[in-house]
Amino acid sequence: MDMRDSLMLSNLTLDNFDKSFKGSNSLVEERKNAFLNLKKIGIPNKRIENWKYMDLAKITKGIEFKPRGINFELLNKNLKGIVVRDFEYFIENKDQYSKLTKYLDNEGVVYLNLSYAQEASVIEIKESQSEPLLINISCNEDGVSFPRIKIDVFPNIEAEVHLFYDGGKGFINQLTEINIQKNSNLRVQRVNKSSAIHSETFLSYLGLNSNISLVNLSMPKNKSRFQVYNIFLDQHSCTDFKSVSIPYEDCQDDFLIQNLHMSSNCESNVGLRAILNKGTVCSFQALVDIDLNTSSSKAIQDCKAILLHEDASMNAKPEMKIFNDDVVCKHGTTIGCLDKEQLFYLQSRGLSPVSAEKILLQGVIKNYISEDSSLNNFLPKVYQ
Amino acid sequence: MNNFLNIQSLSAKVEDKLIINNLNLNVDKGEVHAIMGPNGSGKSTLSNVLAGKDGYEITSGIINFCGEDLMSLKPNERSNRGIFLAFQYPVEIPGVTNINFIKTALDSNRKHRGLDPLKPGDFLKLIKEKSKILGIPEDRLKRQLNVGFSGGEKKRNEALQLLMLDPSLAILDETDSGLDVDAFKIVADSINSRRNNDSSMLIITHYQRLLERIEPDFVHVFINGSIIESGGPELASEIESNGYERFTDVK
Repeated sequence: MDMRDSLMLSNLTLDNFDKSFKGSNSLVEERKNAFLNLKKIGIPNKRIENWKYMDLAKITKGIEFKPRGINFELLNKNLKGIVVRDFEYFIENKDQYSKLTKYLDNEGVVYLNLSYAQEASVIEIKESQSEPLLINISCNEDGVSFPRIKIDVFPNIEAEVHLFYDGGKGFINQLTEINIQKNSNLRVQRVNKSSAIHSETFLSYLGLNSNISLVNLSMPKNKSRFQVYNIFLDQHSCTDFKSVSIPYEDCQDDFLIQNLHMSSNCESNVGLRAILNKGTVCSFQALVDIDLNTSSSKAIQDCKAILLHEDASMNAKPEMKIFNDDVVCKHGTTIGCLDKEQLFYLQSRGLSPVSAEKILLQGVIKNYISEDSSLNNFLPKVYQ
Repeated sequence: MNNFLNIQSLSAKVEDKLIINNLNLNVDKGEVHAIMGPNGSGKSTLSNVLAGKDGYEITSGIINFCGEDLMSLKPNERSNRGIFLAFQYPVEIPGVTNINFIKTALDSNRKHRGLDPLKPGDFLKLIKEKSKILGIPEDRLKRQLNVGFSGGEKKRNEALQLLMLDPSLAILDETDSGLDVDAFKIVADSINSRRNNDSSMLIITHYQRLLERIEPDFVHVFINGSIIESGGPELASEIESNGYERFTDVK
């Protein structure tokens, strides 16, 4: 691929590459390697992906390559058993910097981040937490940002993390790594209300008997791409990823969720509920990849989209690559308007057409966001 | 002609097929009417037309309810004026809690009557009382509306909504189907217990057994979209014994 096509990198070459970074020990070799891979692979576009996702190369073309800072804020301070570190962590632990490319060796957005990331938040959770960790990420300047979050959950831990993305301009290309060590359980809530073009690559490593569950409320005010890779490193681990997508008018929300079953007795559950208004586009690609040598795997994929306008579209692509006979897998996709029989049923009990529609849409959301969830506070009033 | 429900020369089509054919029916306050007829005769279409479901083209006739032209009203407006359809096949609505839905429906009906919403405590007391009558366990109220309910549970839930909303005209579309023997008795008796001079019922059924527990004032034989014979409860007994052969021959 000719990098001149992906404009925001056009003024950067390997010659002046190391001058782009502050400090003398900024992982220059790692960055150079990442940049070479980025040049080889390119920023994702429709030609490379051969699928419905947004053409990141094209839509970031008008954005000036002006790296800028991003507000990273852990809102609750002084929590016991929590250690927060910054980019220095990767300078001290260089082997961790590019670790994820062992599993994701063909992802342009990953190499883009590794090439240019200047700030990171590394959170070590060493003790179980009674309250959720609240992390706010936002920026209000023009330009591009390459934030990186790494959360390391130590063994035998129960914890919850809330990620909140708000505001923003330009292009944010984020890496999130979650390492869950044995016998630990992490619950994640993610709220995306970003108005920047937002691309997040979310990678979780699961140790023996570990769990991660994520409830994602995605209401982008621009184009958003959330790609998840769950790596089952050891047995008896479990992932449960549920997303509710309500993009703003004329906005796009893409999901790519891959569960890589590399160990036996693991379970993955992926679901999406999308409510799509005028001009919105949502894409959902879920892949279950079950290795030849793994057994007793379970996997479920489930997608339901409600189209509220003729100019709204949903692309769904469930995929299953199964190389072992000992599996239980299910997948289902439903895309359509609100059910007329359901609307009539509700109206026949006295609910106005508007109330009936509202209650059905609330029902779609409540499937994933329970009435007592704090995520309700972020929903538009009509859906609360 | 009465001032409650009056249907005159009603004809209705679905996709160019005439389903209701020149139907005339009067239901007065406090009356119970049973409509019996073979499969495909248009009984459910009649109940859907009365409740205001889309997809039916009314080609002629009038339906008057309490002095108003029913056909000019939307389904929710009909409900708020006191029409209740107990569905033959109640739909499942995921994500909507049964109890919340019934509260919303009741509040909507009360609002139309100029009443404030029931206080949560009063509502809970009322719904528990009605659920107990119908043998509905409390945990079912917290479940999603009709989701995973058996056929009988769905019918009991329809009966619960009927008791809660207390409409002036209840249309029961094969409410007895899908119920086991015990549930049938409970549901039928609870429906019969709300019989009074101010509310009427239109019961669509295939079986006399329901009419033994809710004795109708009138029984109508419904064939090919119209009533071809009307009588008292003895007509239901005749149908139970001999079927519809005599009526289809007449037609």
